[in-house]
This record gives sequence, C-alpha cells and structure tokens, in this order.
Amino acid sequence: MPDHSLLEMKGIEIEFPGVKALDKVDFSVNAGEIHALLGENGAGKSTLIKCLTGVHHMDAGTILFDGKEIRPTSPQEAFSMGISTVYQEINLCPNLTVAENIFVGRQPMKGGMINWKEINRRAKELMSRFHMDIDVTRPLNNYSTAIQQMVSIARAVDIDAKILILDEPTSSLDDNEVQLLFNVMRELKAEGMGIIFITHFLDQIFAVSDRMTILRNGTLVGTYNTTDITKLQLVTLMIGKDIDVIFNLKRAHVDPNAPEMLRTENLGTPGQIQNVNLSMKKGELLGFAGLLGSGRTETAELIFGAVPATEGTEDINGKRVSIKKPLDAIKAKLAFCPEDRKRDGIIGDLSIRENIALALQARRGFLHPISRQEQNELADKYIKLLSIATPDAEKKIGDLSGGNQQKVILARWMATQPDLLILDEPTRGIDVGAKAEIQRLMLEMCNDGVSVIFISSELEEIIRCSNRIIVMRDGKKVGEVKGEECTQQTLLSIIAEGEQEGASA
Amino acid sequence: MPERIPEQRQSFASRFLKPQYVMVYATVGIFILIYIYGAVRFGSIGFTTLRTFINMFKDNAYYGISAVGMTLVLITGGIDLSVASVACLTGMIVAYGTTVLGFHPAVCMLVALIVGVGLGVLQGAAIHYLNVPPFITTLAGNFLARGVCSLISRESISVSHPMIDALAGWKWYFKKYVDGEWVKIKPIAFINVNLFVFIVMIIIGTIILQKTKFGRNIYAIGGNEQSAKLMGLPVAKTKIMVYGFNGLCSVIAGFAYLLEVKSGWNLALNGGELEAITCAVIGGTLLTGGVGYMVGTLFGVLLKSVIPALITFNGNLLSWWGKIATGGLLALFIVIQRIVVTTSERNKSKKKEAT
Repeated sequence: MPDHSLLEMKGIEIEFPGVKALDKVDFSVNAGEIHALLGENGAGKSTLIKCLTGVHHMDAGTILFDGKEIRPTSPQEAFSMGISTVYQEINLCPNLTVAENIFVGRQPMKGGMINWKEINRRAKELMSRFHMDIDVTRPLNNYSTAIQQMVSIARAVDIDAKILILDEPTSSLDDNEVQLLFNVMRELKAEGMGIIFITHFLDQIFAVSDRMTILRNGTLVGTYNTTDITKLQLVTLMIGKDIDVIFNLKRAHVDPNAPEMLRTENLGTPGQIQNVNLSMKKGELLGFAGLLGSGRTETAELIFGAVPATEGTEDINGKRVSIKKPLDAIKAKLAFCPEDRKRDGIIGDLSIRENIALALQARRGFLHPISRQEQNELADKYIKLLSIATPDAEKKIGDLSGGNQQKVILARWMATQPDLLILDEPTRGIDVGAKAEIQRLMLEMCNDGVSVIFISSELEEIIRCSNRIIVMRDGKKVGEVKGEECTQQTLLSIIAEGEQEGASA
Repeated sequence: MPERIPEQRQSFASRFLKPQYVMVYATVGIFILIYIYGAVRFGSIGFTTLRTFINMFKDNAYYGISAVGMTLVLITGGIDLSVASVACLTGMIVAYGTTVLGFHPAVCMLVALIVGVGLGVLQGAAIHYLNVPPFITTLAGNFLARGVCSLISRESISVSHPMIDALAGWKWYFKKYVDGEWVKIKPIAFINVNLFVFIVMIIIGTIILQKTKFGRNIYAIGGNEQSAKLMGLPVAKTKIMVYGFNGLCSVIAGFAYLLEVKSGWNLALNGGELEAITCAVIGGTLLTGGVGYMVGTLFGVLLKSVIPALITFNGNLLSWWGKIATGGLLALFIVIQRIVVTTSERNKSKKKEAT
C-alpha cells in the first residue's frame, strides 16, 4: 500500500430536492489500483462520480487529488486535472475516423495545419498497445461497440490521465471483449493509473478489481479488499437484505400433459438463420444460451416476425400461423421484449402510461382506441404489480432507471396477455435487486400458464430459471439440456464444443 | 509490452475507397457521365471547349461562393436560409452607399461585411444559446435582411464607380504558346474576378475543413454534438464562427453578384439560398450533418451548371427543364445518401455479429 491515496474523497454530502443523495461518503483510490464502486441503482454511484467530475456540486466534503484539494466545476476542468471518464454510452463522433476521435481537439500541428500523418501514426501505436490492429483511418461507425469503447479509453488515457473512471464499460461487450478490456485495465494499472470501475457484473468485479467500495441508499457501506469478501457477502451488503429472500426462486412447474404452445419446423430465412425446430409447452420457460451473435436474438426475431421467415412452418396453440410482421405476432398472442432497450424498446419521450398501452393498442388496431380511463387503470395496475418506482404514471419513461424501464416494457407486453413471451436479455445492465425481481415475475407468469423464451448471456440466471435450455452457436442449435440437470460447467462446455448428450441440431 | 507492428503500407485502393468518400465519388461520377453525354451529343458544336467549361463555373460563381459557407453550416447539422437575403442586402448597401450617398465602394463593402458577419454571429448565438432550431432562426434572419433591403430602396439602384467597373472588367485570358508568342486560345476563354474568388474560397474552405482544428470541430459537432461537448471541444465558439463565416460568404457572394449585374435590387437573388443548399447537397454533404467535402461542393456547382448548359446547346428545350432536371438530381442524391447511410449501418451490425 502506498502511504497516501491518489484520490481521497471525504465526507461527501449532496442533497437534491427531497432526497439526500449522498450522506458523508468517503472514497479513496490509490495509484495503480482498480477500485470497483458498487451499489444498486440509486445507491449514489453516479452521483459520487458526478461530484468528482464536476457535474454536480457537493454541499459538503473535500476532494484531495494528489495531495491537493480540488473542486472541479465542469467535466472539462476535471479532465484537464487528469480525471478522465469513459461512459457507458459511447461519447465519440461516429463520422470521424478512429484516429481523429482520439485526437480531436488536441491535434498535433505542423506549420499551423493539422498533421494527419502524426495523428494516424500515434493512433495506430496507441491502438496496437491495446492489442487492436485496426485501420485507424476508417470512420468510427465502421467498428463494433467493443472497439469504439476501446477508442474512448484510448482517448481518455492518452491525455495523461491519472484517474480513469469506467462507468459500466462492459454492458455491451461479449466475454472476449471484456477480457480484452480487462487486459488493458491491468496494463494501465501497472503503469500507475488509478481506475474506478463501475459495473453490475459481480463476476467481473472479482476478476479484475483490487478493492471495492459499496454504497447503499446514498450512504457508505464500506470499503473492502476483493480477496477478503465472497460474492454472497457482497450481494448481501449491496442490497442490505438476506440473500436467500431474493434468490429463493423456484423453477416453474410444467405439467407433462400440458398442451404444446409453440412448434416450429424448419423455420428460417436463407442467409440469416435456418432450420429452427422448436417445441414448447404451455407454461414452460425455455432458456436460450450462447455467445453474443450466436443466433439467439435472430431466432427470437424469426419467431416474432421481426425478420420474416421465408420457409418452414410455425404453429401456435396447435394452429398453423403465418407471421410476416410483428403485428401478426402480436395478434397471435406473442410478445417480444428486444435486447436493446434504449433503441428498440422504450419510447423515451412518452409517459409510462403511454409506453404501457402501446402494444395493446397495436393489437386492437387503431380504430379501437384504448380510453384514457382504461389506460390509467392499466398503468396503475402494472405499476403496482411490478412495483415500478415512479411517483406517477405520467412520468417520462426516459427518466426512470434501467431496471424500472425494463419493468415498463414487461408491463407493456403483459398487458397484451400473451401466450408466449420472448425476453431478450431482460436483465442486462440492471442491478441485482431488480434482476431478481424480473426473474421472479417471469416465473410467476409461467405459473400462470404463459410460455416464456428467456435469452441471456448470464449462465447463472438462465440455469436458475429455465425448464429447458437450448444452446446456440453460429446460428445453429448445438445442444439442449434440462434446467435441473445443468451446471454452468456443462453449459459452458456445450457452448464451446457443442453436440453433447445426444443433442440434435 | 506488445511488439510494435511494422507500419502497414496501405494499398492505393484502400486509401481511396473509403466509405466516407462514396458520396463525392457519386457526384463526380454523375458529372462525368453527363459531361460525356454532352460531349458526344454536342461535341461538334463546341460543348467540349474550355470556354464552355469555364462558363459553367462563371455563371454560377456567386452561388458557388455561398455554397462554400453553406457546406460548413450543413456539416454542423444546421442550415442557413438567410444567405440570399444577406447577399442581396450587400448589393443594396454597396449600391445605395456608392450611388446615392457617394461613399467609396470599399467603405460600403466594409459596412456590408460588418452587417453580414454580425448577423451570422447573432444567428449562431441564438441557435446555440437559445436553442432555437437553425431553420427558424435563419428564416427570421432571411425576412429581416430582405426587409431591410426594401427599406433601403424598392427600386433598382445602378452602380457606376471606377473600382467596380475595373473589378467587373478584369479578365485573365487562357493563352497558348504559338510560334514564339502567347496568343489567346480560340474560342476565347477567360477567368473573371467572380470565378477567381470562387476558386479561392473553395481552397480556403478545403483548408479550413481538412487542416484546422476549427474545421475538424465542425465535423465532430455534426457527428454528435453531445459527444463533442463531452470531449471538451469548443462547441459554442465553433457554431457561432460557422454562421459568422457563412455570413462572410454571403457578403462576398452578394458582391460577386453586384459585379455581374452592376446594380442593387431589393428582390434580387430571391430563393438563392436554396440554390446554395442544392449545390452542397448534390455535392454529397449530408443534411443530417457530419459528412461533406469541399471538392464535393465544387462538383455540385459544376453538376448543377452543366444541365442548363446542355439545355442551351440543345436549343429546343424550355429553360424550365433545367429546374426539373435539378429537382430530379436532388431527389436522386437524397436517395443515394439514404442508401449509403443505411448500408453502412447494416455493414456495421453485420460486422458486430462477426466479432
């Protein structure tokens, strides 16, 4: 341990109208350390970071940085002191090249003009330091989110940052990409940088962090060495409740004689995904496991008609259906919560009430408007049922936290009273408590006779909830296991190698 | 530390076949196609001469000058509808100041410059600080400037001053070296002040966009203004400067128009802002911001001028066909823009799945 911290925040207090967002919080980061900052949504993580970066102005407390007291008033000021932030959303310009995104605003000049050669050379060097040999002269939007994320980190660290804040950098990355990011983080740590790492993924905290600070409801729970704490203790500390209460979830019970709800035969679209053969019983929860891009989402889209199938058949409740577009699916009592909540799910400027009524309205057709009163009743019912944290139904959905947004989307589809609900990564980017609640809701629906297809990258939750798990790789089904008989190990080996236990494609 | 990878030699093709250049290629390609058509069809009656080519620029030079500033505005994701009125106002100020009040045109020019750039800066400030959409802000600026024109005079004021005459009459002839002396080529082709200024403005615009921080900030703002702010770029200053620069271009364009017609008229250049926008858009500047090149705008001006030239050479068509053809071209380019944008998005998502 070095004798003084690189960054020391002491007694931070901030009050927003009506709420004490942070109450006497202490937080410190050493040079050459990865320090995880944890807590449920609303615990005050982002508020604390925003105090540090000058977005919010704290009411009380001191910040010591490199032994000197600082009080940044804007992100730019914090930035020029050596505190860089990489946000969850990519804050770069998609139209500029990779190289330019790293250097814009501080381009090396030669004779009063921008020295493009130097920019491209240095950018290439920087990216290859992160083990990314890419063409830096291509526009940023040519590259995947993971690479864009790396570019924003490259930009942040190239400015001699002493403190790097990573705000949920991994939520849109797959496992390989996360490993890549971790390697970079470790290298930066070895160079003496202090890294603040905010994430919802518990495994990642244990994989990469040295210490962790846990916040709950705006107060400090404590700072711990990662090696001194178990996952279970961590979760208990984060939510302040006994873990068993939350995780005491039982798999849905499926009656062996229950009627078949969904059956597809050779469903597919050439060039996309083909030969999807599925059979699901009423009230069954079917998990889709596999890596990002393995065809999980595409299969779901095929069933729902978001990508129309050109071959094969689809039967719902024993009746042959032809689903050419999502509206057909909605009419056949199917529901689909897409993966990218922000892009395909919520309509940020509409209220919670309007967001909930959307799918039902679409199914009824636009000539049969849902009355305002009915909408109010619907909204109130689901806000209560799903315990959506909001003062009232007229709040804009965009203002809610991720977990609550997800619940609204869930409510939207529950309102249509579907027979089959497809949930694509419903728990991504939301905190442990909300996750458990979404899972509980899913299982309750199964017990009420709804069939659910559950897509997730987190093996743990998929194993905990599913009756059966379909494993996909490269657009094909490579295995199928029963939920009760499955461990993470077997699932992982099927994802990696496939074709085990007599699974058929 | 990972070993350093050797400097990769980029192939000639990969350096030039970048997705961001596609729109410019489309513009240049279509211009060349139309030009070849003209050359085949009307080559025998002089379509391919240097004179015809130069005239294509010359007749539209003032729109071209305005399109330079407009390109910058469009790249930030904005729009400026006040340019034609400001250009007209410039003409009015110089004509009224010189003919009626008896000032030297240079003094009047300075006044027009202050008015034009000042209005641009004001508009930029309103757009940034008051968050008024550029469309509305500059529409107001358009009415304001046009109103002031009519306030100055509702009649055409002709200008006659040695300096203006000298500038309007200046010509640089293309010559060739024959038998030990320089002779003008036949048919005679020359560059006038307007064309010269247009070319200079294109060069200045290129340097601004490609070689200065100011120019790159323009692209960054057009790409994602929020990100630009978070990256610590001077968003406010850049936006205000862009509209100020566009005001400057409008003033220069107005002066160029004055040299052409030698009079100020309160209804001159009516609708000219749309001509400038058309040149920039045909030249591959995206109306959604973030993408655009000066070379594209240059070819946009050429492409827009080659059509009336063809109609003149044909001789049987009404000049209104020019408008129709321009409209068609504009529609075509907007469709191409959409296709380029959507395919690049699709490629991206495909790539994402592949990784």
